[in-house]
Formats: sequence, C-alpha cells, structure tokens
Amino acid sequence: MNWVKVRRKLIDQKYLLLMVIPGIIWMLIFNYTPMYGIIIAFKDYKITKPISEAEWVGLKHVIEFFKDERFFLILKNTLGISFLKLIIGFPLPILFAIMLNEVKHNRFKKVVQTISYLPHFLSWVVLGGIMITWLSESGLLNELLLSMGLIKEAIPFIAKSEYFWGVVIVSDIWKELGWNAIIYLAAISGIDQSMYEAATVDGAGRLRKIWNITLPSIAGTITILLILAVGNMMNSNFDQIFVLKNTLNADASDVIDIFVYRMGIQSGRFSFATAAGLFKSLTAVVLLVSTNTIVKKINNTSLF
Amino acid sequence: MKKRLSMLFSVLMILSTLASCASDSKESSKNASEAGTSSAATSDVSATPTADEPGWKSNTDPVTFDWYINFSWYKPAESTTMISKYLKEKTGVSINFIVPAGNEKEKLNTMIAGGSLPDMVTISATEDSIRQIIEADLVYSLNDLADEYDPYFYEVADKEVLDWYAQPDGKTYGYNNSYAVSSDYKEKPETIETQQTFLVRKDMYEALGKPDMRTPEGFLKALEDAKAMYPEVNGQPLIPFALHEFSDTGNYSLDDFLQNFLAISKVDADNKLIDRREDPEYLTWLKTLRTANEKGLISSDIFIDKRAQIDEKVAQGRYFAMLYQKSDVVSGQAARNLEDPNSVYIAVDGMFNSNLDQPKLNGTSITGWTQSLITKNCENPDRAIQLFTYWISDEGQRDLYLGKEGESWDMVDGKEVMKPELKELLVNDRDEHDKIVGMDPLWMLRIDTKIHQWKPEKADYLKQMDDWTIGKSINYAAFDNIAPPTDSEQGIVDTKIKQAWGLALPKLILAESEEEFDSLFQDFVKTKTDLGYDKLMEYEQAKYEENLKKLPAQE
Repeated sequence: MNWVKVRRKLIDQKYLLLMVIPGIIWMLIFNYTPMYGIIIAFKDYKITKPISEAEWVGLKHVIEFFKDERFFLILKNTLGISFLKLIIGFPLPILFAIMLNEVKHNRFKKVVQTISYLPHFLSWVVLGGIMITWLSESGLLNELLLSMGLIKEAIPFIAKSEYFWGVVIVSDIWKELGWNAIIYLAAISGIDQSMYEAATVDGAGRLRKIWNITLPSIAGTITILLILAVGNMMNSNFDQIFVLKNTLNADASDVIDIFVYRMGIQSGRFSFATAAGLFKSLTAVVLLVSTNTIVKKINNTSLF
Repeated sequence: MKKRLSMLFSVLMILSTLASCASDSKESSKNASEAGTSSAATSDVSATPTADEPGWKSNTDPVTFDWYINFSWYKPAESTTMISKYLKEKTGVSINFIVPAGNEKEKLNTMIAGGSLPDMVTISATEDSIRQIIEADLVYSLNDLADEYDPYFYEVADKEVLDWYAQPDGKTYGYNNSYAVSSDYKEKPETIETQQTFLVRKDMYEALGKPDMRTPEGFLKALEDAKAMYPEVNGQPLIPFALHEFSDTGNYSLDDFLQNFLAISKVDADNKLIDRREDPEYLTWLKTLRTANEKGLISSDIFIDKRAQIDEKVAQGRYFAMLYQKSDVVSGQAARNLEDPNSVYIAVDGMFNSNLDQPKLNGTSITGWTQSLITKNCENPDRAIQLFTYWISDEGQRDLYLGKEGESWDMVDGKEVMKPELKELLVNDRDEHDKIVGMDPLWMLRIDTKIHQWKPEKADYLKQMDDWTIGKSINYAAFDNIAPPTDSEQGIVDTKIKQAWGLALPKLILAESEEEFDSLFQDFVKTKTDLGYDKLMEYEQAKYEENLKKLPAQE
C-alpha cells in the first residue's frame, strides 16, 4: 500500500473518521489515563500523598493477595459463578433467538420480544430489592411453592450459601435473556432468504433448516460473542452480587469484585485492592487470548 | 429488520454518549459553583485580637463557608431557616453544607487525594480519616488559629477536650460535639445519655404478664410465649427478637451492646484489655440465641434486613423484643403511637448477666460523636476559628439551638421558653420544624450537656425509654480511639479479625448443636490468634494506657 492510496482513503472517509474521534478521546481519558494509577499496586500508596511520592514495594501486595485466607474462596466463587453463567446462560439466548425467529405470527413475536428484554432496563439495585422480598421466607416464591405443595417448609433462598449461586445465575439469565438475543436476531435477519427457499424446494423440514442454514450462518457471531464472554469471566456482575449478598451467604457470594471493593473503598487499602484488581484483569486477558487462539485454530473466526 | 436494528443501535449509542455528557457537565458546573461560593469578603485583620472579647464581634462582614459533612443521610440546614438567618445577621457567616451522595468514604477519600477539601469538614470522631488529614498537614491546628486570630477561643473551649484530642505535637486540630467532660458525670448526671436499650412491644409484654427477661430461661420463655400468643401481626408473622443489622464485621447489638448489658468489664484485674467475646456470660447469651434459633424464634429476616427494612418493621410493630438503639426507633415509635399508643416499644430490663447486675452502657464521653476541622483550603481561617469560638460559647450554643429571642423563643421567668406553636411543630412534624426553624441540622458543634436545659419535654413513649437509661451509663472514654490506623500492620490485623468475626457470628447463632457452636467458636479463636491478635492487643493496650494518663482521674 503506498502513501497516496492511504491518503486518498483517509480523505474519502473523513466524515467517518471525524465520528471516531470522540470515541477515541473518551477512551483515552477514561480508559487509558487511569491506567497510570495501576502502578500503586506496586507501591505503598497513601491517599494523602501523590502517587509519585509513594514508596515502591514490588510484588508485596500481589503476594499478600495470594496469601489472603479468602483468596481461594473468592477465586472459586468468581470462576464458579461465571462458568455456570457461561455454560447455561450463553446458549439460551441463541435458542431463544432461533425460536423467536421461527414464530410466524408477527404481533406475538414482538410482544414476546419486548417482554423478554424489559427486565434488562431495571437496575440491579431496584431488581435486587424486589428479589430480596420475593425470595424471603414469607415471600412470593415461597408462598407459591408452598401452596402448590412442592415444598413442605419455606426455603430461605438468599439466607443460605448453597442457594446463592442458583439465585444469581437464574436471575441473571432471566434479566438478560431477551437483551442478549437481540444480536442473534440481527444476525439471523441478515441470512439470505433464498437459501431457505432452496432448502424448502429440496424438501428440508424446519429443524433441518435451522441446523443446516440458520446455525452455520450465525456461527461467526456466536464465536465472537463466546470469546468476549470468556474474556468477561473474571467479571462477576458486581451490582448484582453486591445487592444480593449478606453475611449469611458470604461464603458463596464473596467474589473478586466485592473483595476489591471491600479492601479498597471500605478498608482504605488502595494498593492491595489495586493489586487484586490487576490480578483479575491479567487473568481476563489470558483467558481472552487463549480462547481466541483456540477458536481460531478450530474454525478460523477470531477477534484479532 | 436489519435496518431497523442498526438504527436502534445507533440511537442507543447516541443516547448513552449524551447521558454521559450530561452527567459530566452537571458535575463540572457543580464544582464551579462550589468554587465560586467560597468566601466573598476578605477580612480585616488589622483589629488586634484579645482574650477579653470574642473575635467574631470584631468582624461581621458577610462570609460563606463550605462545610463538608461526612454522613450521606445528613439533610443540610437551609439558608432560609430562622437560625441560619440569625447566624448570618449576627456574625455574617453563611454555611453551605456539602453532603456525599453515596458512600461517604469514597467522597472523602477523593477529596483528600484530590486536594479539594472544602473550608471545614465534620467527620465521625472515631474515623481514621481524621488522623490521616492531620498527618498530611491538610488542616489548621486550632491552637495556631486561636493564638493568631482569636485567643478568646481558649475561654470557651473545654480544656479537657483540647487535651484529649491533643496530637503528639501538643496541638489540637478539631473540636468535637456531643461530648461530656468528667465534671458532667458528677454535676449533671441527667444530661448524660446512652442509646443502648432492650425494647419490647408494650401491649404484648403486658399481655404476657410482664415476664422477667433478664435470665436466658426467662428470655426464651417470653419469646416462645409471645410467638404462641401472637403468631401474626397484621397478617404477617411476628418476629420474636430483633437486632441491629448484620454487617461485614459483626453486629452492633451483639458486640459492644450486649457486652455492656452483661456488664462485662473491658479490662481484667491487672488493668489489661480483654476480649469480651470470650467472657462466659457473653457466650451463655450467644448460646441462648442459638437455642432460640433452634426453637424457631429467630427469623432469617434479622440477618438480611438493612436499616430501611428494620425501620419499616418497627413502624409495623412486627418485632416483639429488640436489642436496639432507642434513638433509631423514634420515627417508628411515632407511627406505632399513632396507630395505638398501647403498642409502642418500651425499655425494660432484659438480657442481664447471671448476677442480675445493672447494665453498664456506653454513656456520652469526652470523645463525643463527630469532630469538626478547619482545612488549609479555607481562605478565611480567621473567620472560621471565630465561628468555632462563637458556636462553642454558651451564647452560640443557645443561638444555634433556640434561635433568636422574640422570634423562636421568649424569656419567661428567667428561663428560655420556645414559642408554643414551634414547640408543637417540633413534636408533631420534625421535618417541617427543620425547614422553618432549622434547629436539628446544626449539630456540628452542639454540646448536648449544655443545651440539655433547653430541650423540650419529650412525648411519653420516648421519655419512658430515656428514663430507663438514667444511671446506667458508664464513661468508657479511656477505651475510645484505641484502634490502630487502618493502613498500619495492626490495623490490617484488626480489619481481618473483625471480618472473621462478621462471618463467624451468624454461623454461631445458626449452629445446629451446642457442640457445633463450641467448635465454631474455637475456630474463630484460632483464626484470631493466627491473624496476630496479640500484636493488636499490644497496640491497643499501649493506647489505652496513654488515654488513662490524658484523662483526669476517675472516681
């Protein structure tokens, strides 16, 4: 590629490029500048002195984090919740999108779609408050289950560690199912209709068409989203867990994000909390890159 | 379909960018206005300060202070209230209060790190941040300011308080509120307050024949009987026993609170600090709660409910008994009283030690509640210290509590008496009273032992609780502020132990058998020791001994 060509291309796309600038500035200010602060993970930072004056301590805080008596517990919770969310929560929107796509009654389809992504617009603070009431021993769910005779006595869903993972996973899937399906619906709507017509002529049934046309056509989208989802595994939805956690389920609800919050904001151990946060981010990068590589080898689609 | 979706996406993206812009601009304009309001007039320093006359009299030019209050629940005093107007009229000072919108620590730490502390700050007296900002030289020492601008400060400030809060350099940096000095305990015992009470619902308690709830057996039986007699309150199950909310570090009701009720000493015979958690009396009561849970008398709600849900349940009268601060049930009590005056909560004897000794509750102490400090960002430190002098003085205490004579109160037979209509408003509609008179929100330098004489008579159902506490308060000042700085080695140990206790406590109560309880408690003791409890104790013991030296001898 020579420079003239590049320049012409740039000039051709000048309006598009202009539109990119605000995004870049935003990223520089909010994503890149704060990265400078990461260095406090390797220093003994006190808020009353500038970062530059803090003393270097090397990996002290990182090692301390690994040695923390709750380290393995929070790692288990973080990965456990995220892994289950991925296994169960990832395929469901795909299934939902395909099913919705097969519905021929347009009005019904729209109503279902709207209802399914409504919960997405409620914040976890609101929804969490509602859920605490619904799931309490005298709450809606227990009364429902009791009246149907499914259980003999009320189950304190959020007051026991053993139910906590179930509660967060199910509620997260319910909240985001419709929203996550949108992107697949968009991909499905981009499939060339003539393929379906040809398949009909060949005598393919509905399931066959889904299997041989719909799924392969959206495979690229699925792969990309899978890579992103794996990269996101270390992020256990902070808002959700923060609202739903309490001292009784602490053994199942303590995740890295909550730990960082507790150490940093509540206890004022900023360097230590940053070290823990940095560990989380680095693990996420490793996960992202390795999934990307694996997927690239298998079906030649990848993020980068 | 595709087109529509892409449009939807672009709309969403635009909306989200707009939203972030909007919040940014709001923030920056707020900052701008904050910066703009601070201090219009520069003061005249030429008048030489003397110790004979309060400094504020020499200069009453208008001046505005930005005052940060480190409590997100605080409702600022409006500038339109009678007292705010009177303050401005008399001294020229207007105060612009800044209150954190969310987490207090987050806001305070951001201001400290960003060097943007306003003119004055008020922080809970036990908060570690105070030490941090003093060490970082972000605040003026009151001594320096008083020496330079207003020597009269020493005339009104309590020497005992200044000594108590003196830093290693011999200077005092902040002044506290709601404190009591040692002479108050002797001369004005009726002004000493404690908030710690054991409450029961009056109608239920009386229907049960006023059972003796001082012993574990009596306590359990009363809870059982209450549950049997009143399985439901307004269609919802009765909660036999309630506590303050459980936090990451334990439960206030079950830590200091219960230990005080059981009159467990904080030191042993050799004046060495002990861990009151290991006291057999205390363990007996925790085991009693475990038994209560086994009998179905502990609802899981009490482990989950936050302050808002507890307040609601108090107002609904869903609890039979509670180990709870009386100041925190005031609004709930009003609701109960409105529904049925017989169904309010009353303070009774409950949860005593095996000797049935009177409880030894946290009384008002020299430490007080909050501390107010003047920061180095203050452009008019002279006016700031003069405001402190004024407010701490008897005159200021009266002005900022009652307001202006003739407007909100009158002198009747040599006694200050509130205007009857305002007094009625104070009892019936506190919010409205705050808007008109503005008495409640100005507590930053209020000294309760001084204003006690002007306090209006409380409603019966509140007075009952107050009366019960009289004579049960102990001055625990020597044990205040002995905790290590949070970022020190011992401080980290302290936090870890507290968090371990926060996890252990609910498990102890929910334990299925006494053996399980014992083994869980042993686990906690082991964790505590492994984490370095001895180091922590060593630090606290040294601090405690320092405190003893600072305090005037107690009888």
